[in-house]
Amino acid sequence: MGVIGKRVAYYPGCSLEGASRAYDVSTRIVAKELGLELDYLEDYNCCGAMESKNVTFMGTMLLNARNMSLARKQGHDVIVAPCNGCSFSLQRAEYFLETDRNVFERVNALLREGGVDQLDKIPHTYHILEWFYHEAGPQKVKEKTKRPLRGLKVANYYGCLYTRPHFYARTYAHAGGQEEEVRPRKRDTADDDEHPYYMNALLEAAGATSVEFEPMHTQCCGGPHSLSDEQVSEKFVMMILQTAKRNGADIIATECPLCHASVEMYRHRLMMKGVPDVDVPAAYFTQLLGLAFGYSANDVKLKDNLSDPLPVLKRLGLA
Amino acid sequence: MAIHERSLVEPERILRKERLVVEGIDVSGDWNLIILPRVINDYDLDFAKEIVNSPDGKTINQCYQCSYCTASCPVHNYWDERYNPRHFIYLARLGMIDELQKRADVMWRCVSCHKCTHRCPKGVLVEEVLKVILRTMAKKGLIEEYPSKKFDKFFTEQVLEYGRIEDGELLFGWIEKQGYKVVKDPILKKPIPFIGETPEWLKQLTLKPIKSMNIGFLMLNAKHMLFHPRTKNWNKFKQVLRKVMEEEGALAH
Repeated sequence: MGVIGKRVAYYPGCSLEGASRAYDVSTRIVAKELGLELDYLEDYNCCGAMESKNVTFMGTMLLNARNMSLARKQGHDVIVAPCNGCSFSLQRAEYFLETDRNVFERVNALLREGGVDQLDKIPHTYHILEWFYHEAGPQKVKEKTKRPLRGLKVANYYGCLYTRPHFYARTYAHAGGQEEEVRPRKRDTADDDEHPYYMNALLEAAGATSVEFEPMHTQCCGGPHSLSDEQVSEKFVMMILQTAKRNGADIIATECPLCHASVEMYRHRLMMKGVPDVDVPAAYFTQLLGLAFGYSANDVKLKDNLSDPLPVLKRLGLA
Repeated sequence: MAIHERSLVEPERILRKERLVVEGIDVSGDWNLIILPRVINDYDLDFAKEIVNSPDGKTINQCYQCSYCTASCPVHNYWDERYNPRHFIYLARLGMIDELQKRADVMWRCVSCHKCTHRCPKGVLVEEVLKVILRTMAKKGLIEEYPSKKFDKFFTEQVLEYGRIEDGELLFGWIEKQGYKVVKDPILKKPIPFIGETPEWLKQLTLKPIKSMNIGFLMLNAKHMLFHPRTKNWNKFKQVLRKVMEEEGALAH
């Protein structure tokens, strides 16, 4: 405990300020309740997500380096991102800047040219779930819980990039491949790489029951292609939703706005097509924690969820 | 007899006979399935060099073809078994461009879930390498425009212009690119939701916040659609980004 720090730079990413407002609002609520402090990263730019990196390598490095530089300017060594895509992008930049001297020097020169401070030190990026687990932990969640999520059966959906790949997320003890000294090793705060359990632990501490959801808990939702390759995304989301439903889940807990949007969008389309067993609503895990901490459905913006988890939660007397 | 990775063999090269007699000996039952040999003589040896020279593609030479990436790939397992990362790396290293081109229709379907990279015992950044292969092929004009590339470009252009993206504009802009007639307002040239053609699922989905009278959410997104959120101090940085992308040849197409 205490590895990451109680006060960190908070990189919300574009979607949390728009369509995923609920995640942003509920994250702030949970952080406040757990006694943690988020320092909003002023004037950040897009991390490039999964898309820009396919178009340009150096450009994506620059986008992320600019955000890192802003964090350094605000005096932080640690950035916390609530989105799998954002934390992946920042960690990816971290990996290449640390292991490739040429990339690091080039990026620094270009940053100066673009009127941004150079990177004196490369800040580390963590997913917000890791941060909650390590700085507060299940014990603190249990203490703060006023209205336990009793009877709520949750399928904890982590998405693909939360623990993967181990080079960037540093979730794996063995370095892999040659030149072990340049490959980052597992960090103390990292979740289990094949069987992540941090979200299970936090939600169970809040009184919920986790359903059997492996191996779909880290199955990709087809997010990067959710608009451009509808067939694949639809199939993947169908597999996720059906596994959750058939294992008795009331709700899917997500921790990434892209997974969340993808699941909600394709859930709706699958239901329109009449595919069976796909009517499981999705909610951010912070929303569920917020409810457990005694906040109302309106406080955690449950109405924003297009898949509408309100009826399920109302039936169980949780909202 | 089983053929492993059958998807790698063209159907017309697989010969199955009910009865087969070779030099007077009846071998049907054991040897009635034959794969006809193929002759390849156009290797492009410079193709792999170009991949090795880019910072995210240089791990390609560590691959020892164990196929762990393919075994864990969800696109291979659940979608199309012709999508085979191990094989793409193999082809790229040999420079068998025409074989790669034959698989161009599935190569872009990678969902970037990084299972391959994660599980590779040799430390190959498989996903990155595959994207470099695609990028190199696109740069040389060996591959046609494919949907995910169009979307990636569309996305990157928005980032380049504003520093940030906006969900509504991304969604409606992409729908417009797919051939729907989206109505735009004459002054700001922004798409107006619910007027013009929209896919039925999207209409129903966007109606939900209206039905539940979620005013705050609607206002926020309407504001973002009208005034695209942008990063301050972006102009100078934008020029540097544009310069870098021009050097990489990312803006040319």
